[in-house]
Amino acid sequence: MFKKVLIANRGEIATRIIWACRELGVRTVAVHSEADRDSLHVRFADESICIGPPPSAKSYLNIPAVISAAEITNVDAIHPGYGFLAENAYFAEVCEACNIKFIGPNSATIQLMGDKAEARVAMKAAGIPITPGFEGVIEDEEEAARVAASIGYPVIIKATAGGGGRGMRIVHDRAALLAALPAAQQEAQLAFSNPAVYIEKYIETARHIEIQILGDQHGNLIHLGERECSIQRRHQKLIEESPSPALTPEIRRKMGELAVHACREIGYVNAGTMEFLLDQDNNFYFMEMNTRIQVEHPVTEFVTNTDLVREQILIAAGERLEFDQDDIVFGGHAIECRINAESPITHIPSPGLITAMNLPGGPGVRVDTAAYPGWVVPPHYDSLIAKLIVHHRTRDMAIARMQRALEAYIVEGIETSVALHQRILAEPDFVAGNLSTRFMERFRKTHADDKAEPQQAAQGAGE
Amino acid sequence: MNLKEIKDLIELVNDKGFAEFEIERQGFRLRISRFKESGPQTMQPAPAPIIISSAIPGAPEVLSKAAQQGLIEAQVSSSGLGVASDSERIVAAAQPELHIIKSPIVGTFYSAPSPDSEPFVRVGDSIEQDSVVCIIEAMKLMNEIQAEVSGEVARIYIENGQPVEYGQSLFGIRLVSKEREAGD
Repeated sequence: MFKKVLIANRGEIATRIIWACRELGVRTVAVHSEADRDSLHVRFADESICIGPPPSAKSYLNIPAVISAAEITNVDAIHPGYGFLAENAYFAEVCEACNIKFIGPNSATIQLMGDKAEARVAMKAAGIPITPGFEGVIEDEEEAARVAASIGYPVIIKATAGGGGRGMRIVHDRAALLAALPAAQQEAQLAFSNPAVYIEKYIETARHIEIQILGDQHGNLIHLGERECSIQRRHQKLIEESPSPALTPEIRRKMGELAVHACREIGYVNAGTMEFLLDQDNNFYFMEMNTRIQVEHPVTEFVTNTDLVREQILIAAGERLEFDQDDIVFGGHAIECRINAESPITHIPSPGLITAMNLPGGPGVRVDTAAYPGWVVPPHYDSLIAKLIVHHRTRDMAIARMQRALEAYIVEGIETSVALHQRILAEPDFVAGNLSTRFMERFRKTHADDKAEPQQAAQGAGE
Repeated sequence: MNLKEIKDLIELVNDKGFAEFEIERQGFRLRISRFKESGPQTMQPAPAPIIISSAIPGAPEVLSKAAQQGLIEAQVSSSGLGVASDSERIVAAAQPELHIIKSPIVGTFYSAPSPDSEPFVRVGDSIEQDSVVCIIEAMKLMNEIQAEVSGEVARIYIENGQPVEYGQSLFGIRLVSKEREAGD
């Protein structure tokens, strides 16, 4: 087992990794930018090192600074969290060269699955259904138009090097395609330093279903069921849940087995998530694979009674998975809300000083956060300040539990997306489980005239 | 001011979360600063320690009491040593006329080009903008750090071989400028 681990990240995931390390008796090193000196993860880590000024490029993405910090603190391993360097194959390679264990798959796997076009090719070869599309990078306009015509409109242009909605364009005809192509390429260049794009069939009404995978260094691979993440705004997830209201045990088994098979083909090690689109006829298509721990991992942890970050560390340390597929039992229903520091109406980020905070508790409630009263939410990073996750026996009970937890989730001094989550959970389509990636689009149209109402917390003299 | 009053002030600074507190009275000056740089050997664990610098006799006893509460022990070192303790570092940082050269990278500080060489600079040396003042080693690469100012080396805050983080104070330089010379 490692003696010391460096966490190359910040915010809630950094604290999450510290908790797992603590429980394993592993010492922790936090690296931070100057803007994060008073961060929760810095306070709880055993050691901390400032690695740069606030901008991510000069701090959290600064590979020499992170590696140098790892060397002077003599760590055995680095946990990259999610985002930042988590899917940077070069960073994983540098760790390997410096004899520091990168907690995740090896650099070759990250490289393969990180190239979205390459990943599609590899998955197709492994027998995974993929969205009808072009296997390869689009070279020019003519090729784009030809490919799109053969797939059939509507199609989606996607950046081969990234995700999160950037470099993505949905187009319904040739004219729109030719107009959108250079814009998508430019966006991709800016966001991922790589303008390469590919084209897929766009499935109008689909659900985003992802399968959680764990694999150890001894060839054991299991899946831990699915998460449905269809509630997205501009391709950023807002609410996730498990199990998916749409999946039957049969589909779950099929998707899980295929995902495990594909991972075996590519020699996948550590935690990973395979993302699929499920169309209205219950056909599923591979979209991409994330070779890291995901933001919404707590949802799976609740339903399967596991600690995925702990498993990541154990796997990286060479331990065998202590469960096999039959040991994974799914119980109850879990929902997660991503609480962002932003206006619930305009989504404009709301950094600043948190003057007061109350977190919900009680049975089946979990909060993963790095926020605390007195903390200044810095403007330099993404706006996620907390994850609120609930678990209960049925989906309806979980929704009710989430509603009462959201009511009690109070943050003062900044705006948060809590009111938005409350409204989404009250939406008839959500309650009925009628989800798709177009949910938020319809929701916005329905709620175009909403004001930012304060959440209905217990008023005044309640007992 | 007696030792009890100093202790009370320490608690006040701690409880109220003050960044700095300074009092001058009857010929002495007490400055209490909340300070988060690392010590000579190890990286400091959270929470931020409080450094106290003072010219009050008996202060070291109070300060070591404070150390028992998890605060750092600060001693006012006698001048001429050149290698400052934490308190000297704070005093120096609070003195506006000293320009602080801070580490631009994470790594290990070396005061000389090689283990058997003379150090790049000593306290009292004059330096120019392109003078190399130290080496910081990061990932097996030796990075020469230039002064980027001219003046006189007044303080050295780091020991040879000590790990440093981004922004850590390395040297205090008394700047040389035309205005100062004219005004003296």
